[in-house]
Amino acid sequence: MKRYFILLIIVLFSMQLSAQEWVVAPAEAALKSPFAFTDSTRKAGEVIYVANCKSCHGDPGKNNVIQLVPIPPDAASVKMQANTDGALHSKLIQGRGAMPSFKNTLSSTDLWRVISFMRGFNPKYVQEVAVPTIGSASAQNVSIKLNWNKTSGQVEALLTSLKENIAQPVAGAEVKLFAKRFFGNLPIDEARKSDALGKVSFNFPKDLPGDSIGNVQLVVKLTDEVAFGEASAEANLTVGVPTNRPALTDQRSMWGVLEKSPVWLIFAYVLAVLTAWGFIAYVVLQIRAIYRAGSKE
Amino acid sequence: MASEVNTDFLQDKKLDSIAADILRPVGITQGFVVWMGFLGVSLMGCIYAYYIQWDKGLIVTGLRDYISWGMYIANFVFFVATSLVGMLISSVLGLIGFKWVKPIARIAEIIAVAFAAVAGLVIVSDMGRPERLANVILHGRIQSPIIWDVTVVTTYLTISILLYFLPLIPDLAISKGRMNHTPKWLQNMYEVLSVKWQHTPEQYRLLLKAIRILLILIIPTAFAIHTVTSWLFAVTLRPGWDSTIFGPYFLAGAFVAGSAAVVIVMYFIRSNYKLDKYLTNHHFDMMGKLLVLVSIVYLYFNINEYLVPSYKMKTAEAIHLHDLFVGEYALMFWSVQLLGLVLPIILLLFSFFRKPFSMLVISIVVLIAAWFKRFLIVVPTQDHPFLPMQYVPKAWMVYQPTIIETAITVGTLLLVIIIITILVKFFPVIPIWEMAEEQHELDHKSQK
Repeated sequence: MKRYFILLIIVLFSMQLSAQEWVVAPAEAALKSPFAFTDSTRKAGEVIYVANCKSCHGDPGKNNVIQLVPIPPDAASVKMQANTDGALHSKLIQGRGAMPSFKNTLSSTDLWRVISFMRGFNPKYVQEVAVPTIGSASAQNVSIKLNWNKTSGQVEALLTSLKENIAQPVAGAEVKLFAKRFFGNLPIDEARKSDALGKVSFNFPKDLPGDSIGNVQLVVKLTDEVAFGEASAEANLTVGVPTNRPALTDQRSMWGVLEKSPVWLIFAYVLAVLTAWGFIAYVVLQIRAIYRAGSKE
Repeated sequence: MASEVNTDFLQDKKLDSIAADILRPVGITQGFVVWMGFLGVSLMGCIYAYYIQWDKGLIVTGLRDYISWGMYIANFVFFVATSLVGMLISSVLGLIGFKWVKPIARIAEIIAVAFAAVAGLVIVSDMGRPERLANVILHGRIQSPIIWDVTVVTTYLTISILLYFLPLIPDLAISKGRMNHTPKWLQNMYEVLSVKWQHTPEQYRLLLKAIRILLILIIPTAFAIHTVTSWLFAVTLRPGWDSTIFGPYFLAGAFVAGSAAVVIVMYFIRSNYKLDKYLTNHHFDMMGKLLVLVSIVYLYFNINEYLVPSYKMKTAEAIHLHDLFVGEYALMFWSVQLLGLVLPIILLLFSFFRKPFSMLVISIVVLIAAWFKRFLIVVPTQDHPFLPMQYVPKAWMVYQPTIIETAITVGTLLLVIIIITILVKFFPVIPIWEMAEEQHELDHKSQK
């Protein structure tokens, strides 16, 4: 009986350990970058890293990470560099705990660029580039156009590709639609494949808040970057509900500037000051009256 | 205060003896020169410390990013608190009709003027860029309790000065002819300040009316000054400050500190000026009872302020309370509570301890405890901000007052003592006309 207990404790303990590990599926861990890491990919990656990762992970190699629980590892650390390229790519897409998912924020190509930047801090790193599959799809250099179809209430994307300088529709390519937020993108509807005319129709919600005239910044992206290359498009379409929320500092408030102070406060303050100093002035006048009364004697 | 004055006391012979007693110490004496010399030289050292701070900035203090309110702000709260006693004694007790406060009222007013006047300077000493002082007014926001505080401190100081000056006017006129032992410039000053006082019934009527207005006006102003000072803390959402009873809690504490200060000044005036006839054992006895009363009220607020949060022990409050009860500040906290509050209450319940000398000793302990109490209110809360302390050197995470900071704080205390000394030495410290009038009435009644 005792033995079972010990066994149980060991099992539980090891489960506890594995719970702390961040395990990536083997197929994803084996994923490789479709392009070779060069100085230009590292530079592009650095820009993305500074904008999205540095606030928590600090400068690689300087160990100035933010003190969260668990502590975000330094990008140059042994722990971080022990990941395969595919494992890093997968973790960036998934996110965990305080680490956000960049699935909807950064393209797969951008994620590889960030990994390229991180690998620059590992002198022992030797890259294995994926077996090129580029060109296996029917089209490359895809361009996308977004439109609002008022009658159907749908957002439509048209995928085309230039073949011998003539725009051809791209069929069978999967695309996703997002609305831009302060951080990351809000997925809208599901990923859909283009039809024979290169057209994709997304159902659009009727209650999405837009800006003061209902404009929403939309982003559409190709999901299969390996087959079709990187392609996305943005458009500012009047598809949302006009939302006119005045800024918090526009109204009179306790936190505003002096000119925006609450009326009741100005009233109370001025009244109190005038009352007190009015009486003080009256008392000073009494001193003058005493002086005059004395001068007469 | 009566609404009419019977000016018959001016013909009473008793006036001469009272005036002689009270005016005897007035003027420049050797003791005064030595005492002021000592204070002046000490103050020069403190001013040099301030010069260093002016030159180098607040880096010479122990104040850093996280604990940015330290000794200076604690000292400011202490000064404002102590000055409130002027309102309590001359106004509240006087208006109720307690006759025994008459000889003490001016002492209380002197303390009010001295502490309120220097409180403003203490705030300036906490500024890293004092040359930008005017910006507080020029770019101040009416929504900020700091602006309310600046307004109300100025108002309170003005009313206190007037409340010191107005009852002094008849005394200045009485003293004019009896000041042959004093320098000429002082006599001239009396002439100017007595604003042609002739003791006419009309002048008394005007004077009493003005005093009565001020006595009433100073009550809401004094409540405002210390309530607003407490709001500087209470409007922030931090453990130890986030309290709804901070206003009355500060007021109650203010009366404890102020009463103790009055007793100390009373004792030294009585022993140095030989004024036992006017500041009698009865006055010390009554001040002792007053001190017990205000201390019990303050103890009640302390129990509220610490028991209620420690019953709930919310996470952030628990860290703060742990620091006070058993942690880093435990020794200071329990010394202040037991020696500065509980023990004085117990001792002063016995008339044996309400004698002048034991009152002096107890009051000094109470006043020192009152200073440290303000330190305990201001500093420990900042040790535990809601967001973690990071990216700063270890030394920035704890507050350790520097010698320069301490010297500047001592300097402000010296300045208070200098103001008190000057007012006590150059002007009659006990209202001559009120004493003479009271004496005349007593004699008149007994004759009848």
